Amino acid sequence: MTSIQMPQLGETIVEGTILKWLKNEGDAVKADEPLFEISTDKVDTEVPSPVAGTVTKLLVAEGTTVPVGTAVMEIDDGSGAGSGGDGATAPIAASPEAPAQAAAPAQAAAPAPAAPAAHAAQPPQQADQPAAPQTPARAAPQTPMPDRGPRSNILSPIVRKLARERGLDLATIAGSGEGGRITKADVLAATAGTAPAASTATATPLPAAGPEGAALMAAPPSMPAGQDEDAQPMSHIRKAIASHMLASTQQTARAWTMVEVNVDHLVRLREDTKEKFQANYGVKLTYLPMVTRATVDALHEFPLVNSRLDGDDIVTPRFVNMGIAVSYDAGLIVPVVKGVDGMNTVGIARAIADLAARARSHQLQPDEVQGATFTITNPGPYGSLLSVPIINQPNAGILSLDGIQKRPVVVEDDAIAVRSMVYISMSWDHRLIDGELATRFLARVKHNLETWDFAEDLGV
Amino acid sequence: MIGSRSPAWLLTPPGLIDYDIANEAMHTLARRRLADEIPDTVIVLQHPPVFTAGRRATEDELLWDEATVTARGGAVRRIDRGGSFTFHGPGQLVVYPILGLGSRPDAAAHLRRLEEVAIRSCADMGVTVARRADVQTGVWSGEDKICAIGVRLLRTRVTLHGMALNCNTDLAWFDGIVACGLPDHGVTSLSRLLGRDVGVEEVAPIAIDHLADAFDLRWSPAPEEISRPLAGAAVA
Amino acid sequence: MASTTVESGAAGHGAEPRGKRSEDGQATYLIAVAEALWEEMERDDRVIMLGEDIGVYGGAFKVTEGFLERFGSERVMDTPIAEETIVGFAVGAAMEGWRPIAEFQYSDFMTSGFDEITTVLSRYHYRSGVKTPVVLRAPSGGGVRASNFHSINPEPWFAYAGGIKIMCPAFPSDAKGLLKSAIRDDNPSLFLEHKALYRRIKEHVSEDAEALIPISSAAVKRPGDDVTIVTYGAMVHKALEAADTLEGRGVSVEVVDLRTVYPMDEETVLRSIEKTSRALVLYESFHFLGIGAEVASVIAEKAFEHLDAPVMRLAPPNHPVPFSPPLEDAFLPQVADIEAAVDRLSAW
Repeated sequence: MTSIQMPQLGETIVEGTILKWLKNEGDAVKADEPLFEISTDKVDTEVPSPVAGTVTKLLVAEGTTVPVGTAVMEIDDGSGAGSGGDGATAPIAASPEAPAQAAAPAQAAAPAPAAPAAHAAQPPQQADQPAAPQTPARAAPQTPMPDRGPRSNILSPIVRKLARERGLDLATIAGSGEGGRITKADVLAATAGTAPAASTATATPLPAAGPEGAALMAAPPSMPAGQDEDAQPMSHIRKAIASHMLASTQQTARAWTMVEVNVDHLVRLREDTKEKFQANYGVKLTYLPMVTRATVDALHEFPLVNSRLDGDDIVTPRFVNMGIAVSYDAGLIVPVVKGVDGMNTVGIARAIADLAARARSHQLQPDEVQGATFTITNPGPYGSLLSVPIINQPNAGILSLDGIQKRPVVVEDDAIAVRSMVYISMSWDHRLIDGELATRFLARVKHNLETWDFAEDLGV
Repeated sequence: MIGSRSPAWLLTPPGLIDYDIANEAMHTLARRRLADEIPDTVIVLQHPPVFTAGRRATEDELLWDEATVTARGGAVRRIDRGGSFTFHGPGQLVVYPILGLGSRPDAAAHLRRLEEVAIRSCADMGVTVARRADVQTGVWSGEDKICAIGVRLLRTRVTLHGMALNCNTDLAWFDGIVACGLPDHGVTSLSRLLGRDVGVEEVAPIAIDHLADAFDLRWSPAPEEISRPLAGAAVA
Repeated sequence: MASTTVESGAAGHGAEPRGKRSEDGQATYLIAVAEALWEEMERDDRVIMLGEDIGVYGGAFKVTEGFLERFGSERVMDTPIAEETIVGFAVGAAMEGWRPIAEFQYSDFMTSGFDEITTVLSRYHYRSGVKTPVVLRAPSGGGVRASNFHSINPEPWFAYAGGIKIMCPAFPSDAKGLLKSAIRDDNPSLFLEHKALYRRIKEHVSEDAEALIPISSAAVKRPGDDVTIVTYGAMVHKALEAADTLEGRGVSVEVVDLRTVYPMDEETVLRSIEKTSRALVLYESFHFLGIGAEVASVIAEKAFEHLDAPVMRLAPPNHPVPFSPPLEDAFLPQVADIEAAVDRLSAW
């Protein structure tokens, strides 16, 4: 039995009014057929059925306004599962509209080795949105080929051949093709060491790397809380971060290189211009946007540092999406500045400020924490001098901007002077990059920061 | 931003496009978008004078009787979007984005983006306008509305209707209705705010650029069989 | 036979076709065909040409301009309007050791000599053991507003005969190399020159008189990974144009140009399907029983296990070629139709 709820049509839309039932108790309904018309304060729409079956109960009268998530109708779809949002709707978040010939499942598009924060960000949202029949919880084990869409049982010759050759159980993957069909690409992805997106979305929101990575290590012996100790279960986000970090450490051949950068002129520039910058642009001027801009240039110069491994292929994007690590109350999240290579320093500053603010208020969208091609972390403001970050898979490297400190340094003519210096380092994946390249990359970042005149780019 | 924008068809039929035909074409395209037969599609056009009533419109919000409306060369249509009465007519830039919202539709975000397009377009024309969450969706100059926005979703996943920005619209038409159901607010246009004649031809290219930016689209020409029905529906 | 020296580069009658290349040395499809004919006529005295208006007039499309002056009326013969006789004469001459090249002014007129082509030419070697190295050549295809008497794609009719090799090149260099191969081949051949391409495309074409393209060899004109378009003739260029646009949408299209439609190079086609798993067969001969119907059948039969979607075909309907331009455009597959078909195929 499937419970149909008042859908969530947007974060700020909290209730909806049933204008008209389009199906009555006893009516048969096909998948994606409209069930009822609703009106909210923002939009009107008809709500389609996620399943095929028979309408058994209308729980609310026409004209009633109910909060999002309220059950308004029950449909018997022959599954016999209990009531509530975990009915026999497609257990895969990837195909909420699986029965329809509608757009390819949006979430399925996320490549499996996405930043952990993608999955980390989803649980809080899903908890707030019980409306969508998209909960990842799987129903009790049923038929070998669960209904993931009207065409999920169409297995083309190449799909069957590849599955046979590679020993893949087709019941374990969901299709990204029309109507949920499993395509050749889905099978190739499932058997290339990279799980297809949908299968990761079915499980708890951990990246595919997680469970395998964890299995490699023997679990330490259990030590429950004793006297004078408190125990608390890890939050979803904490678990996701843990899994991602462990997987990264186990799967990447992590090496680390550091450079020391003279940022004296940047410190002076910032002192001189920070008020005007704030007044002009409404955001604080920090060093992070400048370092980001310098890094983007270095990524263009050394595209391998912007790449990732996909099986045996090195995939090199022709664009840069910069992940910016943000710490917030729930832990760590990495929102992504998409297309950062098209932005100037002001644009970057704004983008970072916006993403960080929304990260902290839990307002990031799933696609805003995916797709980073390189990552920057900035523990400097918290006081660190030097850090060895963990690579944000599937990136080739992660750059750390630590604390700026005045130090005595040797300048021209072997004199000693006090300058603002900073250590900028990078953890990098030795499977993809070698030391010389990593060092030259950092040298380029250093060169940019030491020689560029940012004043013009800041427009102040 | 290579690679991250989605391709979309842009239809800009010239002239004044008959409302019924445009509405029909928009719904047909939306159904095809729902079935993933076509990419996101945006229609930019003008209509001959027509009052459209949304779901919340009440009869007393139409201040002229139908005979008067017809005598003046207008028409009245009840349609499937939410909201109250509004007016479309020559001199008003009308945009119908037919976009797939994906599996987690955020209609509020869609409306915000439409507002953003209007705000930025007006800014480029030299006029500061703003959204007013305290009043209603749409874009305002003070207490007067310059851009009406009304959207419906098809099966919660594809957008219908859109926005209407007054360029040099004859604002006298708005006397025939309680615009947007708000008796205490007026309407205005770019021409009125700038004190010169600002036509749709001047504003459309600017708005089209902002549409691409706001919705992350990359324009691509629509096939003939898509654009033909609308191009043939011009009444003037 | 007097052998007159002609200056290359001189325009008008008497000029060698090579002189008609563009300033940067590129040859149009038409000039490439003319060069092939000229070079083979020079190379082998047994090669003779016959057809309507090919001598004095230089050919309806001016392909054979200058040939009569160069090679004389015993080797370049103007015939009456009598297709059956043209073919019959060619068969007879071939039996006597000549290597005739018979031109049809438009491929549409070939069916006036249908019996001579299918019952006689195509079967004579089978019956008697005597070789008949005849090349039939004709301008074919539509899209030029020439209506249904001057736009046919006749290859399906003659492929059915089973004894004639049929070539439909899309590019000038393929046209030159294939025509030379056909002339040198001892089997009867039908060489169809798409009239819409005659003057519309040009490229650098080899000047080496021994540069041949093998018959029954297809060519990948554009590599890709997601979808294969198997096609030939003028449609190759539309497929390439569609592929460029589709690339922009993230769909990588491989275009396989059959070049010879009978006997077909199955190996190249099947190799492409193995790679992409999705096939669109695009052809200008009619949908039902046109060349693509056979190609699709071969793919379905021999590449079944590699298919991720049904084999799709795109071709005009079995209908007279319309005269009115919008009707002809609607009749023929256009670039937008190809894009839409690939979209449907990719989404299956």
